[in-house]
Amino acid sequence: MLLSFEETQIILKKYKIPYAKSGVIKSEKGLLEFAKDVGYPLALKISNALHKTDVGGVILDIENKKELIESYKKISKISKEIIVQEMIKGEKIIMGAKTDSVFGPIVLFGLGGIYVEILKDISFRLAPITRVEAKEMISEIKGYDILKGARGKQGVKIDELETMLLSLSDLIVKEDIKEIDLNPVIANSKQTIAVDAKILA
Amino acid sequence: MKYIFNPKSIALIGATDRAGSVGKGLAINLLEGKKKRALFFVNPNRKNVLNKKTYPQLKDIKQGIDLAVIAVPAKIVLQIVKECCEKKVKAIIIISSGFAEIGHKGAVIQKQIQGLLERENISLIGPNCLGILRPSAGLNVSFAPFTPKAGRITLISQSGALLDSIIDASFNKSYGFSAIISYGNEAGLKLTDFLKWADNDSKTKVISIYIEGLKNGREFFEIAKKIKKPIVVLKGGKTKTSQKAVSSHTGALAGEAEIYSTAFKQAGIFEVESIEQFLDVSKALAWQPRCKNGIGIVSNGGGVAILAADYCDKYNIVLPDLKFKMPKKWSQNNPLDIIGDADSEDYALAINSLLKQENIYGLIVLQTVQIMTDSLKNAKIIIEAKKKFKNKPIITTFLGEKNTRKAVDLLEKNKIPNYSDPLEAVEAIRALIK
Repeated sequence: MLLSFEETQIILKKYKIPYAKSGVIKSEKGLLEFAKDVGYPLALKISNALHKTDVGGVILDIENKKELIESYKKISKISKEIIVQEMIKGEKIIMGAKTDSVFGPIVLFGLGGIYVEILKDISFRLAPITRVEAKEMISEIKGYDILKGARGKQGVKIDELETMLLSLSDLIVKEDIKEIDLNPVIANSKQTIAVDAKILA
Repeated sequence: MKYIFNPKSIALIGATDRAGSVGKGLAINLLEGKKKRALFFVNPNRKNVLNKKTYPQLKDIKQGIDLAVIAVPAKIVLQIVKECCEKKVKAIIIISSGFAEIGHKGAVIQKQIQGLLERENISLIGPNCLGILRPSAGLNVSFAPFTPKAGRITLISQSGALLDSIIDASFNKSYGFSAIISYGNEAGLKLTDFLKWADNDSKTKVISIYIEGLKNGREFFEIAKKIKKPIVVLKGGKTKTSQKAVSSHTGALAGEAEIYSTAFKQAGIFEVESIEQFLDVSKALAWQPRCKNGIGIVSNGGGVAILAADYCDKYNIVLPDLKFKMPKKWSQNNPLDIIGDADSEDYALAINSLLKQENIYGLIVLQTVQIMTDSLKNAKIIIEAKKKFKNKPIITTFLGEKNTRKAVDLLEKNKIPNYSDPLEAVEAIRALIK
């Protein structure tokens, strides 16, 4: 059973997992107020679906008020439950955890997007993990050099990735949940922040 | 555990002459150790089995019994177990199948047996197992084809059939076993109990396990992490089972095979991919010390040396540069090619120089057969070098068969593991690197 956006946010806050500034949208007025507060670019997403992108339930890179209203009209046709979020650029990373039927709590780390789906460039550990193990999980990834900074691009904050893994490890050990996906976590040279989270309880 | 691995008296309930039966296999194997301990056969339907008198019931045996071995049809096992309790045996092995592995009905009876023996404080192995073997104690409580050599490998398996095959395959090999344990349905003693026993057993140097599934993976992980001796594992059952439709990315990606491999690695267990690798690596860990990552390779053939170097690269095995003065015609780097006309003196110089180097912690010796190659002499040089450098492992690949058979036998008699392919040699050294 997929937890709601609000329930998910409560758990993420409890374990200090940073999440992009978000708001639950009930009207165009509320949406525009959020935009005034937070600024652009923004993203609109339908809430509570396992594969939002597949159904056209995600609209990214909204640069201004005109695009925002157009996108809102479009996405309202798919679902009435909508989230607006600040849009953050950077490397897409997947982090997750599950309670395995044989081994108990497990954490996962990988480069997100096509890297994880097709290349399966991921690492696992049984939780609870130490910072050293978090470091290992990250450096084991074949695409590790991308995180360190390659081809003129700046690297991400590896220590913040480690901290997020440690928080996730704490979460899966202490909470009674089946699976949690942080996909994607966006990492750039300035911040490391989750922009989508799903919890199966 | 002493009543299991070195009992002073054994009663086999279900001993029989019937050709091809489990009861006969057990009887034959138990008789091999008849000089070491008191042995009794129980069978109400036969007056004697294999020329040995039988007793109609367990209670007809006057002497106390350390270990009772039960090999009768499932439906009378519970009754026999009760008789064992009355007789106050110390331990029981139930070979019989037909319990939790066949379904609910069998599981219920197994639970009853388990509860009864827990209350009576009697150790239990099985049910549904091949048995246990301890060659050094002249003990073969199994229906395996024969008793293998005594040695340093404790082999623990979830599959009895695989054990039978491994025992048979070890027939003319040079490695042996400190114990072989088929744990069956784990109604009493579990895999983790045997891990702890093997870790404390002075005869065991390496613990090699075959598993298909773990009941409590977390418990296994926590215990395995603390085991000091090296553990090798071969896991059967890696094919992906279909995932449920409703699942997150994490759920879909974290498949059974990946998690088992992760758990093994995190616990410091060395995982192999085949039965051959399983035995190759166990042999190396049984005979040679562990070492740090810094390996020297010497060869009298460039081609084999290059292959070995490729495999080392694949496994991130470090080949340090060589620091000693050497003949100009040698390759000057690591792997060290001492070229085809190398005689035993060349090998002696190369081997000892490599082992003397501080940042070389282990050695692979490759030999191809040329006109001037004296395999036997080279083997003797290696054996001498091993005695001098006690803490550095040596692995050999003496390629060939006709001209190397005697040399290889000598090497292995002296616990230098030889392999027929440089890939196997590199995989062996990889298992030795801590």
